[in-house]
Amino acid sequence: MPDKQAKGPSLGAKLGAAIRRAAASAAERPETSRETTRGVLAARSRRDFLLFGAAALATTTVGWWLLPERAKRTWLPGSADRLDSLAARVGLTRMQREANLNRVLTFDDDVAEALFAKDRRVRTYDRADPRPLVINYNGRIPRPEYVAGWRLNLSGLASGRTESLSIDELLSRFTRHDMITRLVCVEGWSHVVAWGGLRFADLLSAYPPAPGTRWAAMRSSVSLDDDGNPDPYYVSIDLETARHPQALLATHQAGAPLTLAHGAPLRLVAPMKLGLKNIKALTDIAYTTAEPADYWNDRGYSKYDGL
Amino acid sequence: MSRPERSPSRRGGGRVAPIDMDNERETQKKEQEQRRAAAAARAARREATRAARRAREAQPVRVADKHDGLVRVTHWAHVALLLGLILTGLAIYWAAPVFRHAPTPGNPRGDYFIDAGHALASLFGVPGDTRYWLYERTSVGPYQLANALRLHWLFAYLYMVCGALYVAGLVRGGGWRALMPRASDPAEALAMIRYYLGVVPHALSRKPWPHPPVVGKYNALQRAAYLTMPLVGALVVLSGWAMHKPATLGWLERLFVNYDGARIVHFTCMAILGSFTIPHVILVIADGWDTFRSMVTGWSVRLKGTPHA
Repeated sequence: MPDKQAKGPSLGAKLGAAIRRAAASAAERPETSRETTRGVLAARSRRDFLLFGAAALATTTVGWWLLPERAKRTWLPGSADRLDSLAARVGLTRMQREANLNRVLTFDDDVAEALFAKDRRVRTYDRADPRPLVINYNGRIPRPEYVAGWRLNLSGLASGRTESLSIDELLSRFTRHDMITRLVCVEGWSHVVAWGGLRFADLLSAYPPAPGTRWAAMRSSVSLDDDGNPDPYYVSIDLETARHPQALLATHQAGAPLTLAHGAPLRLVAPMKLGLKNIKALTDIAYTTAEPADYWNDRGYSKYDGL
Repeated sequence: MSRPERSPSRRGGGRVAPIDMDNERETQKKEQEQRRAAAAARAARREATRAARRAREAQPVRVADKHDGLVRVTHWAHVALLLGLILTGLAIYWAAPVFRHAPTPGNPRGDYFIDAGHALASLFGVPGDTRYWLYERTSVGPYQLANALRLHWLFAYLYMVCGALYVAGLVRGGGWRALMPRASDPAEALAMIRYYLGVVPHALSRKPWPHPPVVGKYNALQRAAYLTMPLVGALVVLSGWAMHKPATLGWLERLFVNYDGARIVHFTCMAILGSFTIPHVILVIADGWDTFRSMVTGWSVRLKGTPHA
């Protein structure tokens, strides 16, 4: 067929040739050797092995310094104190370690903050995980008496006033939104949950925060510790996150009003944050210009917690 | 000049006999000459040693440059980082194990690691509470979540930098070419497996057991292993980010099906990276000093074309 001959090689042949060319250019080259002298090799070896040894020593020292106290005492109970004071002699103190590791957390938080986009929607699901949601509350579940007198107190508002809202006011004045999102715990477990409630953004439009404020200090004054003593829980939420359409002030879980164990009558659900930011039994929101304190940040965890 | 204080005639201290001055001078002269001769001989010997050393140092040697400097530095940095990541990673895993069975009285989370710890501890006859026996030996310990997370982020960021530099070193030194798979790899890999299985029996029965021919820097098994490591390294980083930022990087989480999918992949990658080191270290020891040294200094005197040791 003269026609085909005029066209030259077929596509398959061209592709084959291209693959062969790529394979040839990736093929291992024959080993090249060079001539040197024993003296040069000996000097180079000495230098390289001295560097290797120094680096290994430095790494071991820094590694020891970074180890949590519990691991030090488990692994070398006899000499942990002596090694610690040796490390301290070269400036590697426990205080230094804490400062540096907290800098790591800040760096990681800065990465998370840079990655945040207010228009990005968090993945939603068609149906919730049928298993009951884990109760990972750090203390005892509050007694039910507080619910009757519960109010949400707002401060740091543009109006300069403080507001106090009941759950009926919140339910009647704001549109209810439903979403099924994943709650991700810092511990590593996660749970797909169906939530219902008002948008934090709607509350922010109805009661605008004072100009210049960037944070919401959210607090639950009814939280209890292990022994049942008051242990207020508090989280910091940046207003960018609060304004996200998927940041809910949830009143319902799995179609039913929140139970005491899950933060009745109102909790934060921010699926773009770690679970520990999703404060239960919310009682106070204060808008602030400076970053407020955060319960788990005060206990060694990161602060921004963007997922 | 004479040094009378070192003259043997003055030793002994208690001698009071008159001294024969001529004889004394003669002896001193002789000793002086002897000393000079000895010094000259020593100098000659030193010079000969120096010359021999110079000659030895000037001896030409042929070497092949095996590993780029970046590859060497990051190879060793990975040892420390991987150890740190595993020790802290398992302490994070402790907080919420992903591989679980139904809860039991002593193990409410159904953590297989706790069962394995119990079993190992009772095997070694350890008394007392052995719930955390394995965690205390393979991680920075239980109840260390906040500490472990901070350290894991530190090591993870360094690991990513280190991994990128490792790949950059492979590219700069051309080492990546030696890792590319070949059509002949399956057959060569089988030959290598057959060889490794036969090493010990043949050594015991003192029969010759020749190494299969190796064309290039590595044999087929090494190529497969050394290419797998950076790929698994990339996968462990990707699954790590999928767990760390599942909302921001939702597409990445979906790539691993779901959140637990990413955790399982992350854990599996850790197991592959960790277990790779066992045969790796054994084979480097078996291969000899030159192989170890080449990862520190970069060069090797074992040239291709010379028989494999």
